[in-house]
Amino acid sequence: MSKLIVSDVSISFGGLKALDSVSFDVKQGEIRGIIGPNGAGKTTMLNVISGINKPDSGTITFDGTLLSGLKPNKIAAKGIGRTFQTTKLFKGMTVLENVMTGAHSQLRATPLSAAFNFPSVAKEEEEAADRAYEVLEFMRMERFADHEATLLSFGQQRLVEIARVLVGQPEVLLLDEPAVGLSVTRVSEVEELLKRIRQERGITIVMIEHVIRLVMGVCDRITVLNSGQKIADGTAEEVINNPAVERAYLGSKVDVTD
Amino acid sequence: MQALLARRNIVAVGIIVFAILPTFANAYIVFVANLALMYILLSVGLNMLLGYAGQLAFPNAALFGVGAYTSGLLRLEFDLPYWITLPAGAAFATLIGLAIALPALRLRGLYLALATIAFAQAALWVFGHWNSVTYGGAGFRVPPMDFSPLPIDPPTGIYYLSLIIVLVAVPLGWNIVRSRIGRAWVALRESEVAAETLGIDLTRYKAYAYVVSGLYAGTAGALFSALLGIVTPESFDLFQVIVHFCMVIVGGIGSLWGGVLGAVILVGLLEVLRTFRDLQEIAFGGLLLFTVLVVPGGAIAMIKRYLPGWNEPLRRIGKKR
Repeated sequence: MSKLIVSDVSISFGGLKALDSVSFDVKQGEIRGIIGPNGAGKTTMLNVISGINKPDSGTITFDGTLLSGLKPNKIAAKGIGRTFQTTKLFKGMTVLENVMTGAHSQLRATPLSAAFNFPSVAKEEEEAADRAYEVLEFMRMERFADHEATLLSFGQQRLVEIARVLVGQPEVLLLDEPAVGLSVTRVSEVEELLKRIRQERGITIVMIEHVIRLVMGVCDRITVLNSGQKIADGTAEEVINNPAVERAYLGSKVDVTD
Repeated sequence: MQALLARRNIVAVGIIVFAILPTFANAYIVFVANLALMYILLSVGLNMLLGYAGQLAFPNAALFGVGAYTSGLLRLEFDLPYWITLPAGAAFATLIGLAIALPALRLRGLYLALATIAFAQAALWVFGHWNSVTYGGAGFRVPPMDFSPLPIDPPTGIYYLSLIIVLVAVPLGWNIVRSRIGRAWVALRESEVAAETLGIDLTRYKAYAYVVSGLYAGTAGALFSALLGIVTPESFDLFQVIVHFCMVIVGGIGSLWGGVLGAVILVGLLEVLRTFRDLQEIAFGGLLLFTVLVVPGGAIAMIKRYLPGWNEPLRRIGKKR
C-alpha cells in the first residue's frame, strides 16, 4: 500500500524550474533513496513534502489525505518528520530538551495550564522526558542527555536531530543526507540505525543521500532526480545500470576518435 | 560555601529582605525597592518576548504606559478600588499587546524592531495629545489607593501588593518557560524552519509571547501609577524602552532569573545616579557595551559559570536519572 504519493509536483523559483512534474510513491515500511547531482531538486522535494515550499502544481497525499497546501506544523502533526542537511539543533537547550521539543505535538500544555502547573502538565512533562530518554537510549545517545546539544560533535548532533524527530512518533521520516561528512565507521552505524528504525519502529523512510554505499545498502528503491526531473526509479541494480543515470552523473560519452 | 550561594538560597534571602524592608528602612528606600519590584515584572516579561522567543520587539514601554493610564484614569474618573483598577490596567495592556502582535507577527529582525519602536512613539503621542482623556502633556494625579479596612498606609500597601504580585508572577513565568511553551519559544528563536517541522505553530507561539509579555508590562504599569501617584507621558518615552532593554541584556538575555537580576541591578544604578540624569544615560550605554563585549550572557552567565545551582533547564526536573 502506498504511504506517500507524490504526483506531478512542479515548483519554480524565479525562472528556475526546481521540480518539473515529479511523481513517485513510497510504500509503507519502505526505505526510499533520492539521489541526483547537486541542484537536482532533492532538498526542494523534501521541502515540498514537509510544507516548507508550496508546489506550484501537483499534489502530495499521505495515507489518502492531501498534504499539499498545509502549513509545515500541520504536516508534522500528521506524522511526517524531517531532518536537515545542515543540523538545526536548538542552542541553549540540552540534548534531552532538544529531543523533548520534538514531542511538542503530543503535549497539550497552554500558557495558562503551564503557568499554574496543572497536574496534567506535570504528568505530560514527565512522560515527554521519559519518551525522549527512551529514544536517546534507542540511539545509544543517553549518556549525552544533559550535554549542551550544540557543543556535541558533528556526527552526534546529526543523531540528536534524528532522535528529536523520532520522539514525535512520525510514520514517515524524511532525512536530508544523514551520512554527510561522517567517517566510514559512522556510515555503517547510520546504516544499521536506519534498518532498526524501520524494523523496530515501523517507520517509512525517504532519504536524500550522496554516500552511495549507504544508499545501496539500505534503500529498497531509489528515485533519481536531475535538473528537477525524475530520470529513473527502481531498485539499486536497475538504477545503476540505467544509461540516463550514468549520463547525469558522468556526462555523455565522448567519442575521442573523431 | 558555593552550595550556600545556590539560587534557591539567594532567592530566599532576597524575599526575606524585601518582606521585612519596610520595618526598618526609610520611606525612600522602600520606594526604590518598590520600583525594583515593578521593574522585575517588566524585565521578566520582556525577556520572554525578547530573550526566549527571540522577537526583537519593543512594545513593552508603551504597554507599561497603557497599564498605568488605564488603571490611573479608572481610579481618577470613577473612583474604583485598586482590586478593580489594577487587573483592568493589566488586562487592557494585554489586549493592546495582542493587537500589536497581529501585524508584528509578520515582521522579523530589524523591521520588527522599527515597527514596535514606532508603536511606542505613537502611544507616547496619544498619551500626550489626547487631552480630553489623558489630560495631555501635564498628565494627572491619581488619588491614593485605599487599603481599608486593612490598617496600612498607601505606600506600605502598594509595596506589599507589589511584592505579592512579584512572588506570584515570577514563579508563574518560571513554570511557563519550563514547559512546552518555553521550549517552543527557544526553538522558534533558534530556527523557525526546524521549529515548524516539529509541529510548532509559529504564529500562535509568537502571539503567546506578546500576550504574556504585555500582561507583565500592564501589571507593572498599573502598580506604577499607584506608586508615583502621578501619570505623565514622559514616564513612557524612549528612555523607558532603553531601560527595559538594558535590564534584559545586563541581567541575561533568555534567562528568567537574569531578568530579575537585571531589574535589581539597573534600578540600583538609576537611583545612585538619580541626581545626574545625563550620567544615567552614559552609564547605561557603558554598561550595555561592557555586557555585550565582555559577558554577552549578562550577569547571570557569570554567576552560572562560577556557582552551581543556577542553571535553568527548559523542563521540570522530576525523578533523578
